[in-house]
Amino acid sequence: MNVTMKKIGKKYEGRDEFTLKDINLEIENKDFCVILGPSGCGKTTLLRMIAGLNSITEGDLLFDGKRMNKVAPKDRDIAMVFQSYALYPHMTVYDNMAFSLSMRKERKQLIDERVREAAKVLQIEDNLYVKPSDISGGQRQRVALGRAMVRNPKVFLMDEPLSNLDAKLREHMRVELVRLHKQLGTTTIYVTHDQTEAMTMASKIVLMDDGKIQQVGKPEDFYNRPENIFVAGFIGSPTMNIIKGSIQEGKFVSDNKLMTVTPHKEHQESLREFEGKKVSAGVRSERFEAGGKYGDTIDVDIEVVEMLGKEKILYCRMDDGHQLTISTPGHYDYDDGQRHSFGFDLEAMHYFDQETGERIN
Amino acid sequence: MATIGIKLYDEIGRTYDRKNTYLKELAILVNQYHNASKEEKQKLKEEIALHKKRKQEHPYYKMYNEFKSKEKIFKKELKKEVQNFRGNLDDDSSSEVKSLKTKDFKAKKTMDFYEHYSELTYEADFKYHEAEMERKHYPELMGIIQEKERQLLEAMTTKKQEAKQTDQKKENQNFQQFKNDKKEELKSNIAELKRKRKEKIISEKAKKTGIAELKKRYKNALQLRKLKNPVVGNNEEIKALKYDLKIIPKRMKRTLSADLADIRRKTPVEVEKIHPVFAFTTFLLPGLGQLLNKQFVKAVLFFIASLFIYLVAVPYSLGYGNYQGEGIAGLINLAEGAPRIFRSLIFMIEGIIAILLSLIAIGLFYISFRDVYGVEKKEAKGVRSKNWYETVTNISQDGFPYVVSMPAFFIVIFIVLVPVITTFLLSFTNMNPQNQSKFNWVGLSNYQRLALGEGLTGSVFWYILGWTVIWTLAATTLAIFIGFFLAIIANNERIIGKKFFRTVYLLPWAVPAFITILFFSIMFSPNGALTDILTGIFGQRIVIKNDPTLTRITLVALQGWLGSAYVFLLSTGVLQAIPSDLYEAADIDGATAWQKVRRITVPIVLFQTAPLLVTQYTFNFNNFSIIYLFNSGGPFNPTRYGNLAGSSDILISYIYKLTMENQHQAVAAAIIIFVSFGLMFFAFLGFRNSKAFREERL
Amino acid sequence: MGIFNRKKKSQLYLSDRQELTLFGKFGVAASHIVLMIWAVVIIWPLTQMVVSAFNGKQSGYLILNREFEFSLKHFEHLFQETLYLNWVWNTIFIAGATAVLTLFIVSFTGYAYSRYRFKGRKASLMTIMLIQTIPTFAGITAFFTMHSIIASVVPQFTRQMMLILIYSGGAIAANTFILKGYIDSISSELDDAAKIDGCSNMQIYRLIIMPIARPMLMLIGLWSFIGPFMDFLLPRVLLTSPRSYTLAAGLFTLVNDFRTMNQPAFAAGGLLTAVPIVLLFMALQNQLASGLAKGSVKG
Repeated sequence: MNVTMKKIGKKYEGRDEFTLKDINLEIENKDFCVILGPSGCGKTTLLRMIAGLNSITEGDLLFDGKRMNKVAPKDRDIAMVFQSYALYPHMTVYDNMAFSLSMRKERKQLIDERVREAAKVLQIEDNLYVKPSDISGGQRQRVALGRAMVRNPKVFLMDEPLSNLDAKLREHMRVELVRLHKQLGTTTIYVTHDQTEAMTMASKIVLMDDGKIQQVGKPEDFYNRPENIFVAGFIGSPTMNIIKGSIQEGKFVSDNKLMTVTPHKEHQESLREFEGKKVSAGVRSERFEAGGKYGDTIDVDIEVVEMLGKEKILYCRMDDGHQLTISTPGHYDYDDGQRHSFGFDLEAMHYFDQETGERIN
Repeated sequence: MATIGIKLYDEIGRTYDRKNTYLKELAILVNQYHNASKEEKQKLKEEIALHKKRKQEHPYYKMYNEFKSKEKIFKKELKKEVQNFRGNLDDDSSSEVKSLKTKDFKAKKTMDFYEHYSELTYEADFKYHEAEMERKHYPELMGIIQEKERQLLEAMTTKKQEAKQTDQKKENQNFQQFKNDKKEELKSNIAELKRKRKEKIISEKAKKTGIAELKKRYKNALQLRKLKNPVVGNNEEIKALKYDLKIIPKRMKRTLSADLADIRRKTPVEVEKIHPVFAFTTFLLPGLGQLLNKQFVKAVLFFIASLFIYLVAVPYSLGYGNYQGEGIAGLINLAEGAPRIFRSLIFMIEGIIAILLSLIAIGLFYISFRDVYGVEKKEAKGVRSKNWYETVTNISQDGFPYVVSMPAFFIVIFIVLVPVITTFLLSFTNMNPQNQSKFNWVGLSNYQRLALGEGLTGSVFWYILGWTVIWTLAATTLAIFIGFFLAIIANNERIIGKKFFRTVYLLPWAVPAFITILFFSIMFSPNGALTDILTGIFGQRIVIKNDPTLTRITLVALQGWLGSAYVFLLSTGVLQAIPSDLYEAADIDGATAWQKVRRITVPIVLFQTAPLLVTQYTFNFNNFSIIYLFNSGGPFNPTRYGNLAGSSDILISYIYKLTMENQHQAVAAAIIIFVSFGLMFFAFLGFRNSKAFREERL
Repeated sequence: MGIFNRKKKSQLYLSDRQELTLFGKFGVAASHIVLMIWAVVIIWPLTQMVVSAFNGKQSGYLILNREFEFSLKHFEHLFQETLYLNWVWNTIFIAGATAVLTLFIVSFTGYAYSRYRFKGRKASLMTIMLIQTIPTFAGITAFFTMHSIIASVVPQFTRQMMLILIYSGGAIAANTFILKGYIDSISSELDDAAKIDGCSNMQIYRLIIMPIARPMLMLIGLWSFIGPFMDFLLPRVLLTSPRSYTLAAGLFTLVNDFRTMNQPAFAAGGLLTAVPIVLLFMALQNQLASGLAKGSVKG
């Protein structure tokens, strides 16, 4: 089922301003759509509006073309997994998973089949008759998933379901969720603040900040073509290096005059109209050229070297103190205290208009 | 001149253009008028008046009236057409489907008609969109219902077949066999678990949860097996289908209503009326205004409220239906001059009830007025009034807490407020031994008597108050001290027999206080056992109950004995909750045991239990039982305490005596009020400073 | 091998705690003595009462000398000559009805005040709590008369029913507050999940919230049940015929009224009344302590 949002807005009673305004979003059938954003950006509100737990002030929410604004949550054919799992503590796992169907007075046979099926897929068959307080966090999470699955909904909604798990389990569940999604093929809308989850799981990412959508697209697009400075800074770990400067005679010159970059041929056209204007340049940490022999280079002092095994992360400073993060393959030799020259991979440069934050190239 | 909006607004603030050109022009003129200079105002006023005069000749109204007459005809014809259509449906679908088809037909016709007039007026626009929305829902609903009906039919036929084919006896046999097998399995599994527990392989909790789990499995397995019986399985299916057929139309109708309500919110309404005149009909009869606003179900509700007002509140206040009283008038005259059997107190209480009923009635008037006023004002702006579905949804969502708290409020008002107000008013009367059946208002003279210590009742007031304060402080502090002290000692990890001590220390609290107090009272009486023991110890005859000071000391000690248990329990609970890392950190910092107690234990426990300890003070201030039961507030000391009170009486026992034994109710009431205000004041201070209130978590 | 191990064990110091100094050991001993003294202070009067109940040598008055003769005659007197059994039944009835009514009302109001933000929420709670600091005895003058008024309209309304209403009404605010605090701690995500699973407001209340709040509800029910057992003032004011007395009022007549004085019977009655309540308290010791602590921690 595809989910469409047209000009959705949310205004709380008693507040003057709209919390969310003019949200337009199209989620296709079988998408795994991740709504990403920092705390307080409105992503959970948006999810709850799709679920029907919060009311929609203006705009239209459509499931397969049908307007759902006023339909009660239980009638929307959705299922939701909460951050704290929200399992009913006084019921067994079996009853938890069967609850929604028994509220609809489904046949016991059908209920049992569905519950066992879901339990099998999620490998919690042995725990069907215990109470949630008797099982581990990871198992509880799977019960919450099972409860959602049993309903055979058209849309899965997930509100940061992995944030309460430890790191190893989180890694494991990420893969499990993607596998499950492939197996069931249900449209999934997933809310998180963790960009790793977004990048690894999503088929489409929606990045939100401050009640507005910053960018929508595939993970690769986010990484390789961030639409504005916010997106550039949010996605990617380590964070992208952003250097403030301006365009002088077709070249990018940083404010501290230490860095000059002659843009790539393809970027020169769009940069032309920014001659003399303030422009920020962005470089991902792995796109520096080691060696620093040809083209524009920059000299930096290496302060801290983080050894991660397959790569080294160098925390460096330019001569005026501005920090740069550079990552290099692990087998290269670098030590703190050294001074090195690095070049730039011109194709991978990002240029942003400092005033609007919007991408130029 | 009142302003008329040039545009129409809906509840959220979106604007819509006016369709009624007459009103639009008028609005523009009025707007100009308000922004005009003094000279221009006169001219504009005339223009406006002229415009209004020529209303009926305005081109808009010509078209509108035409539309209206066409609509009349349409409605008549539609009725006939719908009847025909319904009659002509000859297929064998159920009545539900048939009615849906009819509704769909009606909607289509409605759409066709109103489409042409959407531009003209919002009313047509509204009807058009309503019909359009209905047509979106009905076909789908029909499809689902027909499918379910078909399935039901299938299931019913299968049922007949199955009933013939299945050998019920054999099925039952098989089931019994299965059940027995499973039961054996269950028993052996449980035995296994028990054995494991005996051998200490698993814990007690694991055994318990394991057994619970096994039992659930067993039950589930039985249930499922039952369903394998085709007859049972089929019945289940039929039940489910029937339920679906009941629920699904309801659900979809709900969605339809919600969507229609949405259209109501989005389509503005254009009215000529600017001033909310209907609202004022409320003061005559609540419900009229709603009727005029065309909100019919609401009108009915408010008519019921009117019934209450005119059949209950008003008559009662005027004196009809009173037990003895004369309603509100009775409050003033207090049965003066009435026959012997009529009592002032009853007049007073009924007067209070009458006032409360009147207040409720006034409240109802106010609610009704606000409702009608609000609707009218909104309509002038352009906001369409809510239909019944919207109102009900609102009430069930936002009104749930109100509805659900009503019994509580009801009881509080009538069981708590009325007596309190009665006492309050009583304190301004002269109800005393001479004025029992009838009494009068006397203003503040009771309070005066108390403040100045005059008269039989007033002279002892300050002495009693003094003893009450001393008693409260001494007894409570003693109890707290003992309980707290014992709790700290007993909580030491090296004490053995903790459970024993805790159980024993609970006893003074567990045994009902009146029993222990009476028992002690007996034992301290002149020929009681403890008196004998004391006489033996001190050599001379000591009768506690005959000496005021000894009585008081004994009372304080007794309350210390009784109250320490509660404090002990409380402190122990909190002490156990103090995390041990605090103590361990203190150990590392080099604290001695005494320092740990003084700087960690005491502050934490005091802080946590402070609110409850404060209640202990108020409890002892009003501790009637112990004073009265021990020695009836004695010993008697007429020179100091007059004939009414004893040496160990506290305020509350004095009040009791005044009220129940000596018929000085008015003075007693004055003391009660005085005491209550004090208590309320302290409680208010306490609330304000309590954690919950400060953190706004209330 | 075994002998060697055993010997070694006794020489090992296994506890985590520090070894006690002489002063410390003295302190521990002193503590035990203090605790024992207080235990005796508590137990002695109570055992006296138990003994008196069975001491056949007493007739109208209690004696506490060496003369003791076991007999059940006081209990016989209690059951046959006094209205003890009526009093028991009355008290149970009133206490039970109070508990039921209180639970019914408070479970709703606690839920409403916890889960809903509505206008006047804070104000009304504060007001009720303030009003309820006014002790119940403030209205004793009115209660009696009010009953007559109500009974004139509804003749079946007995004094006992009035008592039940007064007990329930007096506890509404405090209990609502406590229950509200407990329900506050139940995550509202459960409400959301239940809504999505298809529950209406009432169903969320009935199927989800109430079962989880059961411990607190039981505590409140217990308190409301015990309250009337212990209260002396109101039954004395409101109940007129000895047949309708509660235990408190009834047993009192065995002590203060010369016509019906029989102290040993009082001891017997007191014992019979105290035992179940004490057992109840014992059994629920843990819940009570934690419930109190919770209430205090929440403030």
